Amino acid sequence: MTKKVSAQDVLNALRVVQDPDLRRDIVSLGFVRDLEVGDNRVAFTIELTTPACPLKDQLAASAKQAVQALGVADVQVRLTSQVRAAKTGKDLLIPQVKNTVAVASGKGGVGKSTVAANVAVALERTGAKVGLLDTDVYGPSVPALMGGNAQPRVVEGKLEPPVEWGIRIMSMAYFLPKGEAVIWRGPMLHKTMQQFLGDVRWGELDYLLMDLPPGTGDIQLSLSQTIPLTGAVIVSTPQDLALTVASKAIAMFQKLNVPILGIVENMSYYVCPQCGHREEIFGHGGAREAAKKLNFPFLGEIPLDPAIRLQSDGGRPVALVDSTAYGKAFHAVAGALAAQISIVNSQTGQDISIE
Amino acid sequence: MITSLQVTPNKIKLAGGNDTLTIEWSDGHLSAYPYRYLRDGCPCANCSEAGARTPTADSPFPILGAKPLRPERAELVGRYAVQIYWSDGHSAGIYPFAFLRESCPCVDCMVKGKDRPCA
Repeated sequence: MTKKVSAQDVLNALRVVQDPDLRRDIVSLGFVRDLEVGDNRVAFTIELTTPACPLKDQLAASAKQAVQALGVADVQVRLTSQVRAAKTGKDLLIPQVKNTVAVASGKGGVGKSTVAANVAVALERTGAKVGLLDTDVYGPSVPALMGGNAQPRVVEGKLEPPVEWGIRIMSMAYFLPKGEAVIWRGPMLHKTMQQFLGDVRWGELDYLLMDLPPGTGDIQLSLSQTIPLTGAVIVSTPQDLALTVASKAIAMFQKLNVPILGIVENMSYYVCPQCGHREEIFGHGGAREAAKKLNFPFLGEIPLDPAIRLQSDGGRPVALVDSTAYGKAFHAVAGALAAQISIVNSQTGQDISIE
Repeated sequence: MITSLQVTPNKIKLAGGNDTLTIEWSDGHLSAYPYRYLRDGCPCANCSEAGARTPTADSPFPILGAKPLRPERAELVGRYAVQIYWSDGHSAGIYPFAFLRESCPCVDCMVKGKDRPCA
C-alpha cells in the first residue's frame, strides 16, 4: 500500500528521535536537512555535530524506523557532520580552529602524550580535521610518537606544520638538535605558546588537541590566558596517588573557568598476550570512581599493552587500527570526547561583549 | 553536571555612566564599578605588593590637561578574566571574573558581608 506523506508528517515523526547527549530531538536541533518526499519514498540528511559521534548509527536507524512507521517503504538516511565551533570572542588568535582541547595530567608518566596522539588519530579517522600541539617544551615527545620525517617550513612569515597520518603537528622537538635541552624561564615559554598558536598555519581545524606538560605550571597558565580553551581532558592511572595529584590539575582548570571535558584512565589493566590472564597492575577503576565522585564525565579506560609502546616507539600510533582492544579503547575515548565537546558547546552561554 | 563553570559577564560596558564600568552577569546580576574603585583595586603584582598600595587620585591641576581616569579598552583573558587598559597608562591588571563578582559594590553584595578585596 503506498502512503502519501507530507514533509510535515516526516518531520513530526522524526521528533521522537532524541539526541541523548544534547537532550533534544533531532528536528528542533536542526539536524534534519535536504528532506525529499516522493511517492512511497523519503530521503533526508542528518547533520551531526561531529563525525566522531558514537551514536550515529543508532540515530540513523531510529530515524529510518520512525519514517517507515508512517508506511513509507523506501527511506534513505544520509549522515553528514558539521563540527560546531566553541563560542568564540572576536580577535581570536586562531579563528579557524573550532575547538581547542588541553590534554593534561597531575603528574608525569601517566601516558598523556600517548593518549593525546592516539585520540587525535582516532578523531581524524572519523573524518574530522585535527591538529596536535605539543606544548611540552622541556620533554617534547609528539613527533616521535607520530613518526615520519616531515619538518616545518616557513610560508609567508608563518610556520607550516608537518602533517603525519593526516594530522597537523607542532612541537619544540622540530627545533631542537638531538640531545639539546631547552632551559628557559616563564616569559620565553609564554612567548613560545603565543607563537605556536598564532604564528602556525593551522588552517581550518575541527579539533586542536594540546599535549600539556605534566602538572600546573607556566605553560598551563599561558595557554589558559592566551586562548579561551574549549575544555580540558585529565589523564590518570588508576592509582589513588595519581588521582590525588590529578585533582590539583582539575582545581587549576576550574579556577581558570575551563570546562573539564572528562577523565581518562590510562594503563587501566594488562592482558597477557600469551595466556590471556588479566592483571590490574596499577589497580583498576580508580579514575572512573573519581570522575563519578567529582561529577565529571568518564571518557574511558585504555589498557596497558606492550604493543602500544612498541608501535609508538616505531612512530605508528595504535589508533590507526580500531580492531584491537587498545585501538577500540582509543576510538571509544575519542567518540566520548567529541560528544562532550558538543554538549559543552551547546551549553555555553552567549559571547562576552565589551563595548 | 559537566562543567560547574563560574558566573561570567554577558556584557561589559567601559562607559557605563557616572564614571562607572558596568557588567551584566550571566545570572542576571548587574554590577557598576566606579573607575577609581576598580583602578585602586588593581590586582597586578606591583599594585598588590604589601605596603605598596597607595590610592590614586585625579590631578589637582585639571587645567594642565591631565586626562580624567577611565578605562580606554579591555580585552578578555582566556575564559576567566578581563585585562583593563587605563587612561593613566596602567594595564598590568588582569581582573578575574570571580574577583570582580566578589568585589561588586552594590548594596545587595555589600550586605552579604564578604571580604572586600578592593578596600
